[in-house]
Amino acid sequence: MMTSKQEFLVRAQLERETLEAWIEEEWLIPGESAGEVTFSDADVARAQLIGDLKNQLGINDEGVGVVLNLVDQVHGLRRALTEVLRSVRSRA
Amino acid sequence: MRDPYETLGIERSASPDDIQKAYRRLAKKLHPDLNPGNKEAEERFKEVSAAYGLLSDADKRARYDRGEIDATGAEKPQRRFYKDFASEAAAGNPYENYSGFADFADSDDVLSELLRRSAHVRARGADQRYHLPIEFLEAITGATKRLTLPEGGTLDVTIPAGIQNGQVLRLRGKGRPGIGKGEPGDALVEITIKPHPLFLRDGSDVYLDLPVTLSEAVLGARVTVPTPTGAVTMMVPKGSNTGTVLRLRGKGVPRRDGSYGDELVNLKVVLPEQPDPELEAFVGGWRGDKAYDPRRDMKS
Repeated sequence: MMTSKQEFLVRAQLERETLEAWIEEEWLIPGESAGEVTFSDADVARAQLIGDLKNQLGINDEGVGVVLNLVDQVHGLRRALTEVLRSVRSRA
Repeated sequence: MRDPYETLGIERSASPDDIQKAYRRLAKKLHPDLNPGNKEAEERFKEVSAAYGLLSDADKRARYDRGEIDATGAEKPQRRFYKDFASEAAAGNPYENYSGFADFADSDDVLSELLRRSAHVRARGADQRYHLPIEFLEAITGATKRLTLPEGGTLDVTIPAGIQNGQVLRLRGKGRPGIGKGEPGDALVEITIKPHPLFLRDGSDVYLDLPVTLSEAVLGARVTVPTPTGAVTMMVPKGSNTGTVLRLRGKGVPRRDGSYGDELVNLKVVLPEQPDPELEAFVGGWRGDKAYDPRRDMKS
């Protein structure tokens, strides 16, 4: 389900400036539909993750970028590994 | 809906007895049948009853304390963590990043092959380096060379005229295949220019040692000189010596701007290979060698 920016701010409990800053940092990459930015449920969850990193785990802004990059790599790896395992199993 | 502890006016640590006492005290005060006509009391009584209903049930109370249900007893929406979305195999995740292992797909083993086939994985293929020796003259005039690839197949490489030794030619998209829909890498072909028996090269100039006879050097002559693009006739001026350098303009290597370097011809005066009695007699009668000392700069 896609949400508008306004709805996203409410769901993710974010200030508008904070959201703009995160998009600027490419921590969040919203989609676009009919000239309006749209956010997925994954974006909401990702915003909550960023909030947790900053507010609960005490990671500073530089650190958040690093953590997100590593998290994204891990998910890339997990996807690739899943594909490989599926492929191996289908051959076996 | 307010916090049920607050509604009942008790601490979060209250015992079941305390809860019951607090409820009864409030219920006696607020019960609608004891307060007919007091609408507010009725509302508060409902609230108090709901709060008691929740907190008097040990199981529900525990779930409320853990935040699993709200004050009305309704299930709170479970937070979905980012990982739940990131691992969904559905539509591409724009954040996903393969830079941590894209190089795995460069090798030739089974795992790499599987990675390459994986539809979701997308990364540019690696660049592949090749080494191509070419002839001296091919480097100057340009050429087309065919590389035979180790994994089979060939690659045509166009050598631009005037290429330098050690220069690397980049052939776009001729490297390792990409992973998934990723683009292939580039082929990087490093050029080595083989030496030439006559010519030496420095940048865009070509150097040649040209032997001349004694009489050509002393009297001057027209001689034929090899250049990278064929022989030309050159005037050796009268009184030339070993070490005299003559410049053939534009007979060197083409430059990028379309101009050409020069060929620099270094004269070497060469005596006849066999001793020549006539020459010996002539030089024996020549007194001129007393007049100069070619080793004067070596004296200490």
